[in-house]
Amino acid sequence: MIKKDLSIDSLGVHFENPFCLSSSPVGNCYEMCKNAYDAGWGGIVYKTLSPDHFVIDEVSPRFSQLTKEDTPFVAFKNMEQLAEHPMAQDLADMRRLKKEYPDKVLIASIMGETPQDWTNLAKLVTEAGADMIELNFSCPQMTSHTMGSDVGTNPELCKTNCEAVKKGTNLPVLAKMTPNIMTMIPVVKACLEGGADGVSSINTVKSITDIDLDNKVALPSINGKSAVSGLSGKAVKPIALRFLQQIRSAAGLEQLPVSGIGGIETWEDAAEFILLGASTLQVTTAIMQYGYRIIDDLTNGLMHYMDEQGVDHLKDLVGIANKNILPTNQLDRDYKVYPKIDWDKCIGCGRCFISCQDGAHQAMGWDDDKRLPTFDKSKCVGCQLCALVCPVGAIKLGLVEMKPGRKGDPAKVDASTFQLPNAEN
Amino acid sequence: MTSKYETEPKGYTMTTVMQEAARCLLCEDAPCSKACPAHTNPAKFIRSVRFRNVKGAAETIRENNALGAICARVCPTERYCESACTRAKIDGPIDIGGIQRYVTDMERKENMQILHAGKENGMNVAIIGSGPAGLQAAATLRQKGYGVDIYEKNAKAGGYLTYGIPEYRLPEAIVDYEVQRIVNLGSNIKYNVAVGKDITMDDLKAKYDAVIVAIGASAAKTIPMFEHNICTESAISFLARAKENKGKLDDLPDNVLVIGGGDVAMDVVTTLKKLGVTHVTDMVYEEFSEFKASKKELEGAQKEGVTIVDGYVPTDVRQNKVTFKHRKIDSEMTITADKIILAIGQKVDADGLNIDIQHNEIPFRKVRFHTKDPKVFATGDIVDGDKTVVYAVQKGKEVAEEIDRVLGGQDND
Ligand SMILES: Cc1cc2nc3c(=O)[nH]c(=O)nc-3n(C[C@H](O)[C@H](O)[C@H](O)COP(=O)(O)OP(=O)(O)OC[C@H]3O[C@@H](n4cnc5c(N)ncnc54)[C@H](O)[C@@H]3O)c2cc1C
Ligand SMILES: Cc1cc2nc3c(=O)[nH]c(=O)nc-3n(C[C@H](O)[C@H](O)[C@H](O)COP(=O)(O)O)c2cc1C
Ligand code: SF4
Ligand code: SF4
Ligand code: SF4
Repeated sequence: MIKKDLSIDSLGVHFENPFCLSSSPVGNCYEMCKNAYDAGWGGIVYKTLSPDHFVIDEVSPRFSQLTKEDTPFVAFKNMEQLAEHPMAQDLADMRRLKKEYPDKVLIASIMGETPQDWTNLAKLVTEAGADMIELNFSCPQMTSHTMGSDVGTNPELCKTNCEAVKKGTNLPVLAKMTPNIMTMIPVVKACLEGGADGVSSINTVKSITDIDLDNKVALPSINGKSAVSGLSGKAVKPIALRFLQQIRSAAGLEQLPVSGIGGIETWEDAAEFILLGASTLQVTTAIMQYGYRIIDDLTNGLMHYMDEQGVDHLKDLVGIANKNILPTNQLDRDYKVYPKIDWDKCIGCGRCFISCQDGAHQAMGWDDDKRLPTFDKSKCVGCQLCALVCPVGAIKLGLVEMKPGRKGDPAKVDASTFQLPNAEN
Repeated sequence: MTSKYETEPKGYTMTTVMQEAARCLLCEDAPCSKACPAHTNPAKFIRSVRFRNVKGAAETIRENNALGAICARVCPTERYCESACTRAKIDGPIDIGGIQRYVTDMERKENMQILHAGKENGMNVAIIGSGPAGLQAAATLRQKGYGVDIYEKNAKAGGYLTYGIPEYRLPEAIVDYEVQRIVNLGSNIKYNVAVGKDITMDDLKAKYDAVIVAIGASAAKTIPMFEHNICTESAISFLARAKENKGKLDDLPDNVLVIGGGDVAMDVVTTLKKLGVTHVTDMVYEEFSEFKASKKELEGAQKEGVTIVDGYVPTDVRQNKVTFKHRKIDSEMTITADKIILAIGQKVDADGLNIDIQHNEIPFRKVRFHTKDPKVFATGDIVDGDKTVVYAVQKGKEVAEEIDRVLGGQDND
């Protein structure tokens, strides 16, 4: 079996691998965290602790999901708030975990209401032995406006709270961002000014996944009523990646330590977050659906990827894709590339034809007798929609041509970087 | 507990049917739909399932095929829709029959009423025989506003659906349900009336604007040497008894010899096994390479542990001892059995109906479905075309269209 060093250092803390449980029910007590560590997770962000005077009182049921065809959990909606145990118990659990697993990383997640709360909580979790503190500025379903994602959209409040935290601890501090905002940059900067050392991104996206069509209520229905609440899982990954890219491309934040979160399920998802600048990674939904054991393929798959890339240290991959992400107005618009059908693979389903007719530029035609697509180059704009819908990957990128009147050498267009998601080679 | 004979295989659930529907490539000008003899339009109903519109799927099936829940179970799909399926070029065809069963099961659970009788047009048609051809003809005619009386010589409707195809493949409850839909459309079934015996063809012609003969091939073929053998029973007689008694036959011995290698023979041997007969030996004229039975049926029989010997013809029978010779190699064997079942085909019994039958079919006519008598039409297994339920359905639709054309009823559409 492949063996590669997946360890990485972030904010002075050594992670044996970058994979952590994100703060949520997956790391909610001693037993669960112990099992996760034993399964191979490198770190745990313990379920968010809040002051005992803020009463956590959860609803039931509290989850819903978005499906597509036969795929469950395309996205997952939850209405949970924070840890429900008495704080003393959680602190005792954390203390015990740190004692039994000194080499694993334990991150405490906290959320206060007043600056005083934040200072106190920081003190308590520092005493309990946490390696790092994550500030939850981003839970979208809190019952108080002075807590949760409303705070995370207000730079001033974030700064004040970070300052309060720093009074109670000298541990490294991550501020956890909400995606329910146009741009995170002002909030990130305010957190850093307040003393935070890095950020975690993202928390859940405000959502309604579905409506019970008979009872006319969103799901989950809590005694006939529901509420907007946080979405997580695979479908939020593109949103998480875009925020990550935005943070790490902002002037002055290029080296900011970020813990990447949102829809990570496979080693490929993980690698994407790393390439866009995450040095550690956090997961909840995939664990809720499949269990801690998914760590096996996250770590092993990432090792194989490093091997393929000829990389020995994970840190060498962090953020290296950002240079290839530009504003849309800076992209090369001088050429187009036509689709090329591999006739040995084509099974004559006609999907490319249907999509080009109804969703593109009517360049793909259809030969009724042969039951095969036909191609009219003069109409093709090179959008490659056809290639995306082909069920057997029979459509590849073919001829590259400069647009009329544009200068340039088609041979110099770097066709090796064209990759279609479903093209099997 | 329901017996093996009475248990049909499990159908899809909401999740598993979606998995199967998601395999469908949603083809352009879909070949599966073109390959359905009754135009049940699988590509369209699978697409409806894929877009979570099971009710719409049920409409597509039902409007094209009044026996959609039955076809879902008994169609030799590997010869029709599934043989054309594009997905087979990747791995295997879509399980179209299975999806159709799921949709029609939902239709039943939801108690959907999709077909409606047309405005009465004052004309009446008599249908002789309540097999699939007669039933579909009735459904189509009722939708067009014709009065319909079905004359059935048996006590139950359905023809071979009721008296042939075994319970584990086609539960009686499903047939009853489909028949009831057609009765609900306003068709009138007169049971226990054999036309040609209990009532004459001339009576019908006098009373109705048109008569449809849909009598199927209801008699068993035999071989002269078995004609008076007391150990011998025909396949259709045995299968009818099994179905009528829900598999509770108390005359079943431990050692049965079956002769024949088509789908009917497979039904007989599989039924025998499911009813607990220890030794079931099937002697087949064809060699395996030229086998007539569908793969699915053959595999079903083999799974039950039937001994199938191919390439032999019977040459002599004495009481319960039958001697066979191989058709090509020099080989002979004698089998002693407690019972012999002949499954070598069915033939038409048109006694008293005054219609020509040659080679078990009405001779081909320029305009299909017409007999020599302008008022009398024929359909189902007794006209040219495959001898299957789905073909009978299509022929039932077409004969109704033809009558409508002749009687000028199109104005009523
Ligand atoms: C054992 C068996 C298994 C089969 N399995 C399959 C299968 O899995 N799939 C498939 O597609 N096909 C199958 N078939 C073939 C299929 O059943 C026939 O093709 C189909 O039933 C023909 O329909 P029909 O309406 O023409 O005739 P039938 O189903 O034969 O119906 C004719 C009806 O007319 C009635 N009748 C006859 N004479 C008179 C009269 N003089 N007066 C009044 N009523 C009369 C009969 O009682 C009967 O009810 C099977 C056949 C058999 C025997
Ligand atoms: C049921 C549930 C409860 C959560 N509770 C918390 C929490 O207490 N504190 C927190 O910071 N984030 C919480 N989150 C957000 C997750 O930590 C994470 O940011 C988000 O789910 C996106 O990651 P994922 O797609 O891997 O699940 C919760 C998420 C879920 C699904
Ligand atoms: S690339 Fe776009 S325009 Fe060209 S054939 Fe494909 S779908 Fe049509
Ligand atoms: S989508 Fe692919 S397989 Fe289908 S017709 Fe087009 S090229 Fe052929
Ligand atoms: S041919 Fe097969 S893959 Fe294509 S639409 Fe029909 S069932 Fe689907």
